[in-house]
Amino acid sequence: MHDPLLTVEDLQTHFFTEDGVVRAVDGISFDVAPGEIVGLVGESGAGKSVAVRSILRLVEDPGRIVGGEVRFRDQTLVGFEDDATAADTAGDDRSDDPGDEPGSQPGRPVPRPEMLSESAMRQRIRGNEIAIIFQDPMESLNPVYTVGGQLREFIELNRDLSGRAAREAAVEMLREVNIPDAERRYEDHPHEFSGGMRQRVLIAMALACEPSLIIADEPTTALDVTVEGAILDLVRDLQERYGTSFVWVTHDMGVVAEICDRVNVMYLGEIVEQAGVDELFHDTKHPYTQALLNSIPRPDETVEQLDPIAGVMPEAIDPPAGCRFHTRCPDAREVCTRRNPPCRTVVADGRPHRAACLKHESAFPEADYWASRPIGNLERPAPDARGDGDE
Amino acid sequence: MTVAGHTSDPESGADAGRGDVLAPGRDEGRTERERREDVEARYGWRYTLGQLRRDPTAAAGLVVVGLVTLVAAVAWVDAVLFDFLAEFGVFAGLGVEQYALAKAVWTSPVAEPAGTPRLLPPVGLENQFGEGTLAHPLGTDHRGRDILLRLVYGSRVAIQVGFVAAVVGMLGGTVVGAVSGYYGGRVDDVLMRFVETLYSIPFLVLVLSLVAVLGARENLTIIMFVVGVVYVPEFARLIRSRVFSVREEVYVEAARAAGVSTPAIIRRHVIPNSITPVLVQGTLRVGTAILTVAGLSFLGFGVNPPTPSWGRMLSISRDYMIQNVWFSIWPGLAILITVVGFNLFGDGLRDALDPRLKN
Repeated sequence: MHDPLLTVEDLQTHFFTEDGVVRAVDGISFDVAPGEIVGLVGESGAGKSVAVRSILRLVEDPGRIVGGEVRFRDQTLVGFEDDATAADTAGDDRSDDPGDEPGSQPGRPVPRPEMLSESAMRQRIRGNEIAIIFQDPMESLNPVYTVGGQLREFIELNRDLSGRAAREAAVEMLREVNIPDAERRYEDHPHEFSGGMRQRVLIAMALACEPSLIIADEPTTALDVTVEGAILDLVRDLQERYGTSFVWVTHDMGVVAEICDRVNVMYLGEIVEQAGVDELFHDTKHPYTQALLNSIPRPDETVEQLDPIAGVMPEAIDPPAGCRFHTRCPDAREVCTRRNPPCRTVVADGRPHRAACLKHESAFPEADYWASRPIGNLERPAPDARGDGDE
Repeated sequence: MTVAGHTSDPESGADAGRGDVLAPGRDEGRTERERREDVEARYGWRYTLGQLRRDPTAAAGLVVVGLVTLVAAVAWVDAVLFDFLAEFGVFAGLGVEQYALAKAVWTSPVAEPAGTPRLLPPVGLENQFGEGTLAHPLGTDHRGRDILLRLVYGSRVAIQVGFVAAVVGMLGGTVVGAVSGYYGGRVDDVLMRFVETLYSIPFLVLVLSLVAVLGARENLTIIMFVVGVVYVPEFARLIRSRVFSVREEVYVEAARAAGVSTPAIIRRHVIPNSITPVLVQGTLRVGTAILTVAGLSFLGFGVNPPTPSWGRMLSISRDYMIQNVWFSIWPGLAILITVVGFNLFGDGLRDALDPRLKN
């Protein structure tokens, strides 16, 4: 087992809004091994984008990283002194914390001395070691410059090249991502590129400095399915050749199945299940993951009707007490309204499979889930009763 | 900006399935011409100029602005550049001196020719001083100098003042507004309070007091800069409001994620995407600056007496209005036409650059 390339531990990013504190990311931990594609999956608003921006410390006011640690190789991207974060370590039942008063600003945690300075982040990490590809290829390129010029600026900034050499490197990168006629398209402006082509340009930019890690924030969400397929193939091909690791943010389980080695499922700022991609799909351990899988069509199963997840995700400003998913969980029992389980290993053999659900008694013996009363807060009508209203 | 006719995706073609991994896009299929047409579609200078030409009032403005600027440029070479060069022996030896060009073609605009009647009317008219002649098509002033020639050389002052003041205002306002808008928070508070303080003082009062404090009654350079500084607040507020939205754009975040420093982001990404309204306003402000400095000249602040300027001509002609009203009319008309020209051009530019007004 390699040392992980990236380690995220108990990362917390909160937004201090006028209405109160939004715990967009509330203590997530995961790691990325060299050459691995790790998925971060969840519905809109689960905190995926904030989580990956926190890794690069790109969160903007009123958001702030308030706790946890991010290590990249031997460098500390985020790290705080222990005593300053003590107030935030509330153990298993985190949601029992009294909510912060609206507008109150608790003291900022004190950064550890080894935490990289902002200029070190800028010069050594961002773009250099860790690149990020954003969701919307239509908006991620500056409309006033040529595509080649932007790529070249980026190469000049992060690599020791300038002038002609930088230009040639830029054209080379455009070729690398299979943009036809790269030499000529170098001179084109972003509006002359289609969505798929722009996403290729962004991938070229991300790869330009041969980073060890690329964070892809829903890079194919804005594209149609055939283009998405081509982009995924391209990424896999490049990943094999460059050995780059990826953190792949998406809400699409199909993309996860296609590209990821390991998956982290996020719900309301927390990771609820962590597993290898096969284990996740075939031995699902968390009801939320199960619900996500039930809500998409699967080619290997014939179902009469897709099963959307009931209800909407609660607001992160006021998460439910106990397990955050209990308001929508078909398996919720009384104990779930009281205890918020952390992510624990539920299948030990092979790659660790972790889940945050009390129904795994072996991992959560103290909860006594099966003795608890089912709350049945989401009793659904039987499938055959569903069509009644229409008839 | 989405471009019409460019929504079809090269990769979504009928047979570009998931299988052909690295299938090249179909852009090959589009001819060079089609691609170039896309470029011109609602983008770039060529398109903007094309739009302007289609708008008759804007085109008229463009013609006026172009003509006056051209005349002013020639006058500037003759009056300012030659004056500067004449200090060097090499050029002086070649006969370069102030108004060398005017003298070669006609006569010096500042000399008082002996024997020319004062206050002659334009050609074809007659007054108590005599009959207008072709030698002085617009007549002569109170010292017998040709009005047309002085108008030509006066344009140099007007255009120079207009451009310099507008550019100073644009530069200062852009920097202040972009920094203020990008950083927001306390930086924004401090800069904007300062800008609003400037803004709250009546324009002419501010200009006059600054000029008086700087002791620059007859220093045109300082006056131009003062007028420019007084324009800073409006440009700053204009660009700041754009920067607020541009800084949220993904490409700005992408630049930050790529490790670009903040000053570089402001310079390379934020300002170029927020500058359009500033350019339009700048064009309009050239006209206002001309008017302002003419007004200042009228009040006695401006160029040294022999140097021709429209404002001073107007100011002096007041005393001779009864004898030769044309002495007042010509510089007034020159100011009017120039300012209207810049306004028409600026309005047309705004229409051409504003996609919402397209039909």
